[in-house]
Amino acid sequence: MSINSAFHSQRKWNIGFILFLTLLLLLLSQISIRLTLITALGISLGFVLQKSRFCLVSALRDPILIGMTQLTRAFLLLLGISILGFALVSWGASQSNIPLSLNIFPMGVHTVVGGLLFGIGMVLAGGCSTGIIIRIGEGFAMQMLAFFGLAVGSVLGERSLKSWRYTFGEWPGIFLPDIFGWVPTLILELIVLLTLWQLARWWQKKQLGE
Amino acid sequence: MTRFSIDIWGEMCPIPLIKAKKKLSSMQCGDILVLETEHSCTSRGIVVWAKANRYIIEEKEVANGIWHLELTKTHD
Repeated sequence: MSINSAFHSQRKWNIGFILFLTLLLLLLSQISIRLTLITALGISLGFVLQKSRFCLVSALRDPILIGMTQLTRAFLLLLGISILGFALVSWGASQSNIPLSLNIFPMGVHTVVGGLLFGIGMVLAGGCSTGIIIRIGEGFAMQMLAFFGLAVGSVLGERSLKSWRYTFGEWPGIFLPDIFGWVPTLILELIVLLTLWQLARWWQKKQLGE
Repeated sequence: MTRFSIDIWGEMCPIPLIKAKKKLSSMQCGDILVLETEHSCTSRGIVVWAKANRYIIEEKEVANGIWHLELTKTHD
């Protein structure tokens, strides 16, 4: 098959988009440097997310549904890199005396119920929150419906959080480095991830009968 | 060497893969299954799955955002 004309027409669009984004960033930089940096970061994150075709739903669903764990292991790798990166940022912040505000939330029954609801929803919708937004951008119409559901669900969850906490109570959130210190926490977390990695490999071998 | 195809337009993962698996089990060795999808993750997912199962798979992006897959059943 010869190279399709659809690709040729796309090249013009790509140049157009790059020009548009450059001009937009230039315009923003006249208003506020901070805004420009946030926008540039957002665009790059979106670009990487779309190109990687990373799918959290697939990582959590496929081991059970079809016995594949490639994405699950990629997800574990992502967690490992994030943990190390987070430790580096925290260390750098403490070295230069920048206060960090951590999002440590209390857990409770609502954590489990919310997790279950989100899990069922994301398998039915075929995407987690970023996954849905990426696929809307790719032009997959079904995900717009899912996005509507995501928005409604978020609002309902946010509004009812207080009554959940009031009815079932909650436990304070745990930040492991505060209890064990940074180095033992890092070692512990990486060992857990490595164990899960091995488990995932074993599971795929068993399921596909290699 | 028969060519089969199933309709997976507009379907999201994991429906196309389940449909393909079902169709594949009714096919003979050497038969080819043709799939076309406009869902990027579906295409990727089927390719990864086919390679892990040691089937022959060919992926081609025939137009922007449309993937054409040919899967050869090499073993039962």
